[in-house]
Amino acid sequence: MIVRIAFKNIWRNKLRSWTVIIATALGIFGGLAVISTATGLTDMRQNNAIRTYVSHIQIHDSAYLKYGGINDQLQNDQKIINGVSKIKQIKGVSSRLKVESFIQSAGGTSGLILNGINPNDEALVTDLHKKLQKGNYLETYKRKPPILISQRTAKKLNAKIKTSIQCSFTDSEGLPAAGVFKVVDIFQTSNSMYDDINAFVRIEDLKKISGLDESHEIAITVTNDNAVEQLKTNIEKMYPKVHVASWRGIAPELGYADKMMDLVMMIFLIIIMLALAFGIVNTMLMAVLERKKEIGMLISVGMNKRKVFWMIVWESIFLAFIAGPLGIVVSFVTIQFLGRHGIDLSFAAEGLRSVGLESTIFPSLNPTYYVIISVLVVTTAILSCLYPALKALKLNPAETLRTA
Amino acid sequence: MIKISNIQKTYDDGNIKVRALRGIDLEIKPGEFTAIVGPSGSGKTTLLNIIGGLDVPSAGSVLIGDTDIAKLTENELIDFRLNHIGFVFQSYNLIPVLTAKENVEFLMLLQKKSDEERDKRILKLLQAVGLEDQINKKPNEMSGGQQQRVAVARALASKPDFVLADEPTANLDSKSTANLLDIMLKLNEDENITFVFSTHDQRVIDRAKRVITVEDGKILKDELK
Repeated sequence: MIVRIAFKNIWRNKLRSWTVIIATALGIFGGLAVISTATGLTDMRQNNAIRTYVSHIQIHDSAYLKYGGINDQLQNDQKIINGVSKIKQIKGVSSRLKVESFIQSAGGTSGLILNGINPNDEALVTDLHKKLQKGNYLETYKRKPPILISQRTAKKLNAKIKTSIQCSFTDSEGLPAAGVFKVVDIFQTSNSMYDDINAFVRIEDLKKISGLDESHEIAITVTNDNAVEQLKTNIEKMYPKVHVASWRGIAPELGYADKMMDLVMMIFLIIIMLALAFGIVNTMLMAVLERKKEIGMLISVGMNKRKVFWMIVWESIFLAFIAGPLGIVVSFVTIQFLGRHGIDLSFAAEGLRSVGLESTIFPSLNPTYYVIISVLVVTTAILSCLYPALKALKLNPAETLRTA
Repeated sequence: MIKISNIQKTYDDGNIKVRALRGIDLEIKPGEFTAIVGPSGSGKTTLLNIIGGLDVPSAGSVLIGDTDIAKLTENELIDFRLNHIGFVFQSYNLIPVLTAKENVEFLMLLQKKSDEERDKRILKLLQAVGLEDQINKKPNEMSGGQQQRVAVARALASKPDFVLADEPTANLDSKSTANLLDIMLKLNEDENITFVFSTHDQRVIDRAKRVITVEDGKILKDELK
């Protein structure tokens, strides 16, 4: 009976109840929309970094990380590659030879890192092959060894496909070395800073020019993101003399962004819940003050205060139970839709690329957040109606019947 | 039987003390149809509130049967009111979101009466007040007289020892007043239900079997007709 009266009570003032319900639902939707967009941005930045340059795990010679010397190569890199490739859950292994180079064409000069790669292996580790203008992934070339440069570098060098460019660097003997490469394709990733400082050549070509015979870096991707840390530990045990790092160690800023996002989400949730709490306190207080006489009558005729208290609590719960699912369903449908089709921010593409983001953002939300929001909405509703409910309990029936 | 002895009530807001009742002794026997009358501010509503356990006296005792309700805790008092006292208010005070049937049923639900018992009693009471055809109407779909008759049915739903009615006809026209009084008198005569009113409505006073006049917090006259 108390529950039924409570439910009917919330429809006494339909306009007010719907205002609170819609405001709460919009609050939930707004909060979840922001959280999912921010999550989408963080995920995109993280995934882009992993798929573009970090990969899940990297192996280096310890001295290379410390000094970055051209001769600080991984000893017996092929043995490591073969060993790592046998591990289950490893998706791709690519060795890289990295040389700091001065690059020049007829139209300009630039400094960048020349990455010697095996195109087939690299394709299992990064998405570089998908970021090309023509799709020539160091495959088709004639006399001169092929090179891939970024669109930004091409602009700097005033170069285009088929332009010859010269790369100069110091070889393994410490002597000046140079090679002339032909641009076979131009790439553009979602990270303009990365594009500015990287170019790709075939590893055997770079080995020949530089006189180096091993690699500086082995990049690894895994099939299960959650297994990264465990696999890193396993590889460390297999090869204790080399330095093994997961993406969190290589690019800690990505992990920090993740943690910061958790904090931001927490703040947003608190704001949503505060808005909900104020809405409910206001509505229920109005409802109690408007019904002083009626509540006085209920106590007079024998409804104990515990029941009066629960009647008010149930009214709040009903408001939350209508607003909560409404907000959650609208949020879920919107996030699913935008998660599939994306939010087009191409008008700000250049700015987004400078921080490693693409222009289409795909919002995503961990399903746990829907559960958390549901629990928080009901908890907040109950907590925020306590004050109005306690106010109702303090009413003196004789006084309310006389004066209200 | 209601027996009140030397009831005093003083309202004290810190600055001014108002002595609303100044030592009232009164006995009301089962089956009485009593009107407490007096001008505004005479103390009749305070007296009714004290008899009904809605207000506590500053001194004196209120015995209802064998229970001194002045000594009950707040929760015991609420329980006592539910099971022993019926209330009819000046402005009906029905629950607006409930139908006539649900309003009458409400107290029986609080008493945890069975479905069958509730259904029987609702029908009986609404027939007694002539509203069996208005069973599913909400208060705002009924006239003032009809609402007050529902309030009488509600007051009787919990099978109280007596019914207290505070100015029950104050908001009713002559026809509705006469109708309501007919119903209450019939219930009083046929089922020996005790009614105690506070009123200054001459139409009620004329039909009351006992009239207690209160003035300045004291009983001025106590007349049996």
